[in-house]
Amino acid sequence: MQLKREPAARSARPIRTLASQERRFALALLVPALLVLLLTTTTPLVYLVWNSLHRLDLGMPWLSGFAGLENYTRMGSDPRFWNSLWLTVVYTGSTVVLQVLIGLSLALLVLQIPRGQGVLRVAAILPIVLAPVVVGLFWRTLVLAPDFGLVDVASRALGMGSHNWLGDPQLALISVIAIHTWQWTPFAFLVLLATLATLPPDVYEAARLDRAGAWQRFFHITLPLIRPAIVMVVILRMMTALSAFAAIFAATGGGPGSATEILNLYAYRTSFTELNLGYGASLAVVLMAITLAISFLMFRLRRAR
Amino acid sequence: MTHAVGARVRALVLWLVAGLLLAVWAFPVLWGLLTSFKTERDVLAYPPTVLFEPTLDNYREVIFGGSSILPNLWSSFVVSTAATLLTMLFAVPAAYALARLRYPAKRGSGFYVLATQMLPPVGLIIPYYLVLQGIGWLDTYSGLTAIYLTFSLPFAIWLMVSYFEDIPMEMEEAALLDRAGRLRTLWYVILPQVRGGIAVTTIFVFLNAWNEFLFAVVLGGNNVRPVTVAMFNFISVEQTQWARLAAGAMLAMAPVILIGLVAQRHIVKGLTVGAVKGGGRR
Repeated sequence: MQLKREPAARSARPIRTLASQERRFALALLVPALLVLLLTTTTPLVYLVWNSLHRLDLGMPWLSGFAGLENYTRMGSDPRFWNSLWLTVVYTGSTVVLQVLIGLSLALLVLQIPRGQGVLRVAAILPIVLAPVVVGLFWRTLVLAPDFGLVDVASRALGMGSHNWLGDPQLALISVIAIHTWQWTPFAFLVLLATLATLPPDVYEAARLDRAGAWQRFFHITLPLIRPAIVMVVILRMMTALSAFAAIFAATGGGPGSATEILNLYAYRTSFTELNLGYGASLAVVLMAITLAISFLMFRLRRAR
Repeated sequence: MTHAVGARVRALVLWLVAGLLLAVWAFPVLWGLLTSFKTERDVLAYPPTVLFEPTLDNYREVIFGGSSILPNLWSSFVVSTAATLLTMLFAVPAAYALARLRYPAKRGSGFYVLATQMLPPVGLIIPYYLVLQGIGWLDTYSGLTAIYLTFSLPFAIWLMVSYFEDIPMEMEEAALLDRAGRLRTLWYVILPQVRGGIAVTTIFVFLNAWNEFLFAVVLGGNNVRPVTVAMFNFISVEQTQWARLAAGAMLAMAPVILIGLVAQRHIVKGLTVGAVKGGGRR
């Protein structure tokens, strides 16, 4: 392609030149950002895959070398890997469902409150802007600590006794799910509240005249109307849950044992606590593949609607 | 009459639930604020007390004392500011091209940007660690700033795209017909239109960078130690310094809470960015 710039062509401004001029301008604006992304995301990704094919253990550097698919075949017989995979499914599934259910119920409820919505909205923003690591630490100390944490105080006051909320394997999983749900439900709540507020009131009026009950109205009018917003919330919440790290790291560190060790935590611990970067890289590749596959699926699903 | 009573009961129930909601979300933060003014002894009182003699000792300690987090606040500030400036420098032009210009592979490049936003940080931390170690950039401002671009750039591009798409097409067409030139049109006609969007995007990029933890803890060190990492100073195996942790956390989170309150109306937009466009169409 020739990039001509004769004065004649400029004064005539044929469409062709204008289009190619626009193209060149667009590329000039876009290429720097794309180069940065290529350098900071895509290249590391390739390097990650490369590392996942190697034995790379900082604890045993003399064993380093190409290993082929060894790291991947090792996963098959690694109970900790399957455990982390299962926990990832449980963690992601439960937090997303809880956030949407609670967020939607609250939004429907708050919509009926004539005044004071503003205060609620401000309160809802607080958890969202906090750093997840601070949220994790807050919960670990002020909310869930045995004896002095608010939840434990409440539990004792209600006669349910004191519990080691983050130290008992089963409770710990429930606790980290609660922490995530606490921090991110406001997001679902705010988005759905904003969506509900834009629904046309006349549809409801018509439905009421037709004597449709409250549940009927919800299932046949509200739900179909806000479905796109719900799908969007589910997608975004899934992405956040799949990359969750700091809050769990701060609250339990993945423990006790591996009770809260979702795939993110397992990959991190393998790489930077046990210093087995090769195996950690292969775990990270699996994590990437799962995340990208799910986001691709969700977007396909969404476009099909 | 019964109808009126029913309505009143309903309103009361609604208020109760709303109040509960408020409490659940605001309480841990308010409790943290309260704790930050307690002595370590008051913290461990049972039942927890709301009436106590407030002290500023914790703040004095975390600002001027041996466990001062001032250097950490400075680290966070430098990294977040540098990352934000660089991000905006790259993101604004790219977003304009994505939103407004016709060029080949437009859909593809937009999808690429979106896909890079999906990558979980834990997945990329190993190559970042190895590369930064290789070029001697571990525990440096340059290293951490560069890595922060990985999550802030795609986010900023997509948020800016939504603002560029909101401005009417006619203005730039008129300017172009006046032969203003594309760059001049962008600078003098378009950018002033999206000033608000640039402000909001800048704020969010800063907030995300400030709150970042994983990259900071792995790629930072004694030199560059953002405040999110410094929170762990107050927690050790032997002892947790509750009140100091609370005071430190309050200081560390003050900027983002402030940002949240100021930009609250834009938060939903900031959080849903990308997904709205993710389907390829508006």
